[in-house]
Amino acid sequence: MDNIGLNRRRLFQGAAAIALAGSLPTEPRAQAVAAREAPELSTLVQQNRLPSLAERVGTAPLVVTPNEQNPRYGGTLRRGLRGGSDHNGILRLVGNQGLTRWNMEFTDVLPGVAQSWDVSADSKIFTFRLRPGMRWSDGAPFTADDILFSINDCILNSELYRSPPSLWVIDGQPVRCEKVDDTTVRFTFAGPYGLFLQQMATPLGQHPTLFAKHYCSRFHPKYNNDLAAQLRAANVSDWAQLFRQRCGDIEIPSRWSNPEKPTLEPWVIEEPYQGGATRVTMKRNPFFWQVDTAGRQLPYIDRLNFQIYQDVESLMLDVIGGRLDLQERHIDTLANKPVVSQNQQRGGYRMFETVASLSNSMTIYPNITHKDPKLREMLGNKDFRRALSLGINRAEIVDIVYLGQSEPWQIGPRPTHPWYHEKLARQFTDHDQAEANRILDRLGYNRRDAQRFRLRPDGQRVFFTIDVITALYPDNNDALELIKRHWEEIGIDLKINAIDRSLYYTRGDNNDPDMAVWPGPGGLEPMLDPRDYFAQHPQGTRYAIPWAVWYASGGKDGMEPPDHQKERMRLYDAARSTADTAEQGRLMKQVFDIAAEQFECLGVAMAPNTFGVASNRLRGVPASMPNSWSWPHPAPSLPQQFFFTG
Amino acid sequence: MAGFILRRVLWMIPSLLAVSFLAFFLIQLPPGDYVTTYVATLAASNEIVDQRTAAELRDRFGLNQPFIVQYWLWISGILLRGDFGLSFEWQQPVSGLIWERMGLTLLLTTSTLLLTWAIALPIGVLSAVRQYSFADYVFTFIAFLGLAIPSFLLALVLMYVAVVYLGQDVSGLFSEAYQTAPWSLAKVQDLLAHLWVPVTILAVNGTAGLIRVMRANMLDELHRPYVVTARAKGLSEFRLLLKYPVRLAINPLVSTIGWMLPQLISGATIVAVVMSLPIAGPLLLQALMAQDMYLAGAFLLLMCTLTLVGMLLSDILLALIDPRIRFD
Repeated sequence: MDNIGLNRRRLFQGAAAIALAGSLPTEPRAQAVAAREAPELSTLVQQNRLPSLAERVGTAPLVVTPNEQNPRYGGTLRRGLRGGSDHNGILRLVGNQGLTRWNMEFTDVLPGVAQSWDVSADSKIFTFRLRPGMRWSDGAPFTADDILFSINDCILNSELYRSPPSLWVIDGQPVRCEKVDDTTVRFTFAGPYGLFLQQMATPLGQHPTLFAKHYCSRFHPKYNNDLAAQLRAANVSDWAQLFRQRCGDIEIPSRWSNPEKPTLEPWVIEEPYQGGATRVTMKRNPFFWQVDTAGRQLPYIDRLNFQIYQDVESLMLDVIGGRLDLQERHIDTLANKPVVSQNQQRGGYRMFETVASLSNSMTIYPNITHKDPKLREMLGNKDFRRALSLGINRAEIVDIVYLGQSEPWQIGPRPTHPWYHEKLARQFTDHDQAEANRILDRLGYNRRDAQRFRLRPDGQRVFFTIDVITALYPDNNDALELIKRHWEEIGIDLKINAIDRSLYYTRGDNNDPDMAVWPGPGGLEPMLDPRDYFAQHPQGTRYAIPWAVWYASGGKDGMEPPDHQKERMRLYDAARSTADTAEQGRLMKQVFDIAAEQFECLGVAMAPNTFGVASNRLRGVPASMPNSWSWPHPAPSLPQQFFFTG
Repeated sequence: MAGFILRRVLWMIPSLLAVSFLAFFLIQLPPGDYVTTYVATLAASNEIVDQRTAAELRDRFGLNQPFIVQYWLWISGILLRGDFGLSFEWQQPVSGLIWERMGLTLLLTTSTLLLTWAIALPIGVLSAVRQYSFADYVFTFIAFLGLAIPSFLLALVLMYVAVVYLGQDVSGLFSEAYQTAPWSLAKVQDLLAHLWVPVTILAVNGTAGLIRVMRANMLDELHRPYVVTARAKGLSEFRLLLKYPVRLAINPLVSTIGWMLPQLISGATIVAVVMSLPIAGPLLLQALMAQDMYLAGAFLLLMCTLTLVGMLLSDILLALIDPRIRFD
């Protein structure tokens, strides 16, 4: 799997090869050159309508080792989107061309747009070297000025972004971005920033390479003081709106609705993603800055065709009918797996594995900061939560809901991760009703009402509701139906509150739920998403949202958390500010130790791996890849080196 | 008659204003707003929106302002400048989004309507004239079957059979090659080749009710003295039927035209979602689910306008068909 990776030495070899090729006399090599680019492009070159390959890719293109041998140019890759707001379906195939990129194992970063970098000893200053001669998809050079424009003029502009995206702010100070020379950029942060290189490989870290200065500056008042006519023509009221309409942003549909906008992506928009569209098509970027080990320019595949489905069932039908070449988004549920697998032969496709980066398929978050003091006292008691956990028959849930493809599990990094933490992951996962009853009796919930439910000391029934978004995670709802029965057996009354997702979020923001469930992240990316390990995520750490608000606002809003939480916040901040992975692991182990001791949220079953399908004609797709938002699959497996056989 | 029409048209103005207010209010009613929904949609794929970005979006779309201010911004744009605003989701003018889909929508719904009538009216008449005959029972049975099967289910089953057993794709209104091609004879043929599937599915669902209405109305009329008189005067049975009882029996159908016009937009939504038809219904549904207020509001306003216009049309048609109806 690591053959797709690339080491520094090979990169320079590749660069040298290209440089050499570029300097040779061109006529006798025309034939060979023709084989190193798509036929449609070499025709254009011969007609003098496109610069030669060497001019297009520059002197230091990224050299990618293809997954499979004997690639050929051509073909259209078909894929499905789901209605509006599925812009990230495009992002996940083509839109992750950051300064760095992930390796296949999701453990470290490799050169992307930047060919190399230096990090200062205190992890505050990051210097990136760009690729000389690299170009935007319209042929204009990509230089340090573009990055400066994107950072200084765009994301630090208070009219465009009222406040800069959080990953650019450290210790309350926004990043400082300077040009060293045309191909060197320096980022300086107010404090140590150990995760910066990784952040640059995630989708939210794409800002430096998002806006082409020569194009997007046309919509920016600093460079164009005559925007009035354009505003009128576009029917918008301010320049920020116009800018977003034309140049997009990382995660909005209009990123894919302007065919004119230059990008650094392997394919560029042909038929845009907009309101009435029934499909989106993209065609190859003739200036794409990556080549394979034989010097052939990527991508191999000519075009992409995204069909827009309103309904997941009809998307599924086209998957099993073999009418899509690569699909994992929207269809990768366990419930779909048997049907997809049955139709493999008839549909002419194969399945590949996507390794869950989630830790748990369903984390139960008791609200230990509940507004009601009685409930807060009950749910805030660790022994009470321990009894709840022992009362769950996880084996039954795994068998019935997850078709046996999982195991009982609390939270924490997955067993394959180097930071796997036995106690955090496995404590209290046995089904032990007797012990659960003993604990509850001892806690004073020993009286029962006529229906055999336990009573609180104040005479109220031990009862609470649990928020779940059924439409989103039907498996969570199924699991809760079983848990409701399990807890009934130990005398606890649970009401499943199946609600719509906006209400779920609104209730969370108001600190209203008694309990809530959500698939627990942090299985493969514990540093990037530690919401289950301490009160980190103001919308995600659902056991104590006011504490997380306190943390995220630097102590200004929310509610002050207890010391064991503050200790974890301190440890995490320390881990986050070092770039040394071993040190990060040492600090995070302490976070996990405390989290295991406090046992704030309950897990049910380890998140099972999911799947994707690839047409049998499509080669180069790895048999297994991570499934994560931070590793936005399948983009880091480099679809530009996928190709079609005959 | 002219005075009547004028009065009705004038009354439409306050009705529309009231309706626009109600529509806007209803769209706002669910908890959260466009941004909450947007964040939640992304979260569904475990995708995260930066917190600051979310707050900023809310600010930019004016979602922090009080309801009445938001309503005023919207309605004043429409009244003063004919501007329906930008769709939050697509950052495109709402009017463009709507008109883009209206053509095919109109085609699909009118063909469905015509097919429904073409099937239901003759059968309704036949069932009444030959009441309790074998044909009456057979047709009634089939029609009820059609009514009982939800059309989206029929669509899904048809699509599944087509994909798995015939290896054919019956979703959409065009084949791959013609989706964005300019209009040509070949494209029209392609459209017709796809159109009959959804039209049949939708028509099957609509016929049963219509057959029953037609049958009952006819049974009422068939034994009236004027029918006996006409027969006594020697009119052929066929001419007699069409000239008198059918003309009266069709009355209730005409008076429901007012409800059919808004159906043009929202009628076939579920089938359209299942079959990926590029018509207005799914866009409206999506706009409502995303709380994309300007887009959804414009749709609702359009539907209400159509309802009012439809009502007026029914009244005028009724007056033309049935001489017993008077204006006052």
